[in-house]
Amino acid sequence: MKYILMMTGKKSDFEGYARWSKEELQANVAFMRAFSKELKDSGVFVSTEGLGWPTEAKLVRAGKNGEPITDGVFAESKEFLAGYWIIDVESPEQAYKFAARASQAPGPGGKPANIPIEVRPVLSGHADLGL
Amino acid sequence: MKYILLMSGTRAGVEGYHAWSKQDIEAHMAVLQRINKDLTAFGEFVATQGLAEPSEAKVVRGEKNGVPVTDGIFPESKEFLLGYWIVDVANAERAYAIAGQISAARGPGGKPTNMPIEVRQFATL
Repeated sequence: MKYILMMTGKKSDFEGYARWSKEELQANVAFMRAFSKELKDSGVFVSTEGLGWPTEAKLVRAGKNGEPITDGVFAESKEFLAGYWIIDVESPEQAYKFAARASQAPGPGGKPANIPIEVRPVLSGHADLGL
Repeated sequence: MKYILLMSGTRAGVEGYHAWSKQDIEAHMAVLQRINKDLTAFGEFVATQGLAEPSEAKVVRGEKNGVPVTDGIFPESKEFLLGYWIVDVANAERAYAIAGQISAARGPGGKPTNMPIEVRQFATL
């Protein structure tokens, strides 16, 4: 079963992250690299991506003729996706265990950041939508 | 440049989708499949993925000893990721144009859904 582990944050969270010291950021990145390796070594790794900053995000809708209308204004409460991992595991419990590991990535002062990680099954195809 | 196009919705929005007729859903999916085909033909397709229903979502935190603590309660306003496309395109404008096509995909009664699509670049680490 494939699951996606999503890390999200508000713009203010990202601004806080930008204030971390170089050492704190390096420790966090080192953890993330080790975590990806752990997923690969466990044979559950499918993919991972980190996204650009929320300041670069645009919201796009189609205009009458299908032309894109872009907007870069978001509510302060808006949760932006920061990055994700997709893993292929035997059970939801195994997915939750890996999510808990990701949640423990070190933050300021080397303490676990305790970031909430959203976990959802991913669909294998349109059949999962009843089509 | 790689961009991710994110389709999100609140739980109420997803419930609205369940009320669509089978024909409307099929017509909608046909448009999305055509967009995927076009992206592949243009060499811009990287990946696409749909996510399971928000009712299956959990939030997980690690306790001190790494034990996962799961929670399935979200505010009503919570925007759930429904699915995404990853595209490799020449510039941001092209990513916006593809997002516009997705937003224009027909919904109930053949009208465009006009769903907002969030467009983000990938981080370069």
